[in-house]
Amino acid sequence: MAQHEKSKAATAHFAIEGEMTIYRAAELKDTIKPHIDHAGVIEIDLSKVSEIDSAGLQLLIAAKLEAMIRDKQLHFVGHSKPVLELLDLCDLGGFFGDQVVIFPLGTH
Amino acid sequence: MAKTILVVDDSASLRQVVSIALKGAGYDVIEACDGRDALAKLTGQKIHLIISDVNMPNMDGITFVKEAKQKPEYKFTPVIMLTTEAGEDKKQAGQAAGAKAWVVKPFQPTQMLTAVSKLVLP
Amino acid sequence: MDLDDALKTYIIESRELLEQMEDALLRIEQAQDDPEIINAIFRAAHTIKGSAGLFGLEYIVAFTHVAESVLDKVRGNALHIDPELVALLLESGDHIGTLVEHAAQGDEPDADSERHGAELIARLNTYLGHRDEQTAAKGGMPVEHAPQIEREGGHSVATDNWHISLRFGKDVLRNGMDPLSFVRYLGTLGRIIRIVTVVEAVPPISQLDAESCHLGFEISFQSDADKATIEGAFEFVRDDCLVHIMPPHSKVAEYLDLIRDLPEEEMKLGEMLVKCGTLTLDELKKALQKQADWQRPIGEVLLENNIVRPEVVAAALDKQKQVKDSKTVENNLIRVDAEKLDQLINLIGELTIASAGTALVAQRAGISELQEAASTLSRLVEEVRDTALTLRMVQIGGTFNRFQRVVRDVSKELGKDIELVISGAETELDKTVVEKIGDPLTHLVRNSMDHGIESAEVRLAGGKPAKGTLRLNAYHDSGSIVIEVGDDGGGLKKEKILQKAIEKGLVAPDANLSDKEIFNLIFEAGFSTADTVSNLSGRGVGMDVVRRNINALRGSIDIESEPGAGTTIRIRLPLTLAIIDGFLVGVGSSSFVIPLDLVVECIELSEEDKYAAEARNYLSLRGQVLPYMRLRDLFDVKGERVRRENVVVVQYGNARAGLVVDTLQGEFQTVIKPMGRIFSHVNGIGGSTILGSGEVALILDVPRLVQRVTTQVEKNGLELA
Repeated sequence: MAQHEKSKAATAHFAIEGEMTIYRAAELKDTIKPHIDHAGVIEIDLSKVSEIDSAGLQLLIAAKLEAMIRDKQLHFVGHSKPVLELLDLCDLGGFFGDQVVIFPLGTH
Repeated sequence: MAKTILVVDDSASLRQVVSIALKGAGYDVIEACDGRDALAKLTGQKIHLIISDVNMPNMDGITFVKEAKQKPEYKFTPVIMLTTEAGEDKKQAGQAAGAKAWVVKPFQPTQMLTAVSKLVLP
Repeated sequence: MDLDDALKTYIIESRELLEQMEDALLRIEQAQDDPEIINAIFRAAHTIKGSAGLFGLEYIVAFTHVAESVLDKVRGNALHIDPELVALLLESGDHIGTLVEHAAQGDEPDADSERHGAELIARLNTYLGHRDEQTAAKGGMPVEHAPQIEREGGHSVATDNWHISLRFGKDVLRNGMDPLSFVRYLGTLGRIIRIVTVVEAVPPISQLDAESCHLGFEISFQSDADKATIEGAFEFVRDDCLVHIMPPHSKVAEYLDLIRDLPEEEMKLGEMLVKCGTLTLDELKKALQKQADWQRPIGEVLLENNIVRPEVVAAALDKQKQVKDSKTVENNLIRVDAEKLDQLINLIGELTIASAGTALVAQRAGISELQEAASTLSRLVEEVRDTALTLRMVQIGGTFNRFQRVVRDVSKELGKDIELVISGAETELDKTVVEKIGDPLTHLVRNSMDHGIESAEVRLAGGKPAKGTLRLNAYHDSGSIVIEVGDDGGGLKKEKILQKAIEKGLVAPDANLSDKEIFNLIFEAGFSTADTVSNLSGRGVGMDVVRRNINALRGSIDIESEPGAGTTIRIRLPLTLAIIDGFLVGVGSSSFVIPLDLVVECIELSEEDKYAAEARNYLSLRGQVLPYMRLRDLFDVKGERVRRENVVVVQYGNARAGLVVDTLQGEFQTVIKPMGRIFSHVNGIGGSTILGSGEVALILDVPRLVQRVTTQVEKNGLELA
């Protein structure tokens, strides 16, 4: 459940582990926001996300927007299967502009 | 992993039928016979949905939902309340307690399945 | 789905609920307007109806619905409960019971019960203040029909798909609803052709309240489902979300309305619709052109967009608190299959025998530590046994309470005013006994009301209150439960009984009978003393059946009657049918068990007594006559007589008797094994058990023996010298 971090001066890499749901939305917001404040390039590893719902999706969108407004680069990497499924469901892959590894999922 | 649903009703036959229907659709089911029993069964495990009757002995459904929502693990658990067509006043109280979905008794098992799958697919 | 088991549960549950309902209805007359009792009645009807729907038992739903509506009015204080309404509700409860039995049989109600149901519905409807029998009889909920979509003006868009536009309210997530779950559900109704996630309202993370929802979706959707079904997908969020559903080929103008209704910029929205494939670029251009022509003031648009609905007011919260405070307190019970309990008790029976065996071996081995351990074990096994037996014990109150209804109905039938007084309701007895006692009790109660309690005129003439009293009482007495059915009626008329018995050839005209024997004649087959055979006593079930039932339970029945003051019929039953504390005695090489709680004392039979006794057939115990019987003679035991015999004095009810045995071997926990058919004719034996040594011992049927010994003495008309 912990977020691992290895920040350089201008770059922040960190991972979100466990569920990205409404139950943890407030907590995750407080985790993500300082990274965007302090780094120019932010890379968020989503490979350990076990579950994601609308609240989690909204966090991803809000983080991306924040970065865009403040002219910073934010990338999501290593999308886990639940994340990919969700992006596929709402057809948001393009919005984030990240490279996602596509593997066959059930069509919706 | 199957989604877990807590079914709270004082009618054993209702629980049995709902349980059969839900299990058949691929959900896990926990049963409780009234609000007090249900609260005792909320021990921190993941519950994806609560289905609760309103009028029950020992602890009614509205009190139960209010209490359940006090627990951090169940603060955001969706609730389907079972009501009568005559229960509009209860509905308001229930909504205030955090129960936004209502299914009117009597219902067919398939109706319940439909309602459930709107909130949580198996 | 196999619902057979569930249906069985439903039948049992409904029967119980109906019993509770009846019970509560009978109490409500005394406890006027107690909200708890009224709610209990309502809940019973509500639950029966609710579960009936699950099984598609429409006839139960339909009828119960009407009764429930009346009860709901009572609950809401819109209707005052009076004896007439109670009577109607009782009748309705009975009718629901009939319907439930139909469900149990797997058939539909017959014409008779349908007619009766319709008649009750008509009467219930008068309380509802409407005569809408049609809806009531159907009992169905009004079906919401999807409003017909009006199509007017402009041409249709080209696509064959539905268009669904969703903007979720900000509390949706907090309420535990996940917008995406509705989208997923849509996927079960058809195919999502295109989806555009509307992120315009999502703020950057620094301004985000992570638990509020700002999401929306534009969806192009292909489905054969009707509009009501698709709308239904969003029923749980309808109140605080913007949901627009456009059927295939909606008019361009309708899309224009949609664009206007949504909070996003027009161009942006238009793009989304085009992206969804709902509108072609051309269609969009035309629509926006029209929009420009209208030039609607922005304020008006904003007003229409004001979608926030007033949430539940604080007052509702206070009200809800009051609801919480008035919660009911009921027993915390679990339901266990009676068969499992029986199995447990059987096992404990075996355990008891094994434990006795261990104790015996330990004693023979002469190792004191082993003996100590064995005695600890025995004590624990005894406790386990007692506890297990209490699991099967139920209070007799439930059975007694059923008679409130019987007394009420029968009083009415007979035109007598009779009150039922219950005492000792908390007295417990074995469930298996309780189940079998209902019918005999019913018969005794009816009999007392019919023949025992006089009409009001006779009572008043005799200086008694016009209202008769029937008493049901229960208590524990020397290892038995005693159930009394008493009335304050005219008492049994000895001469009349005797005369009738002689007429019927039940006794010889010159027979010399004691009072008790005369009273007991009413238990003979085909006996009726009432001058006029009323509706109740003409049912062909005589008191002889009652006695036979009681005897089958190893019980006994006797009568006490005082002319002019009333009659009390006393039933004495064993507390349990499974295990007893026994007293082991030996005769020759045989062992017998006497139920310990029937043993009063043990005395040595002196030489002197022995000779005297043989002459008179009774012993003198401290100056009292004690009829006795030699087990050696009774069971024809072979072998030498011992020099010093012992007498076990037993008591059953008010009668005592001595049983002469060779040796006294002490207390022994006894598991009653039913006797095989071969032994069932052996008088005086109630069962058998296995001793720790593996030998079989016979359990004496003390009630039978005492009866036999005492009547013998009475017959011989012996007097104490």
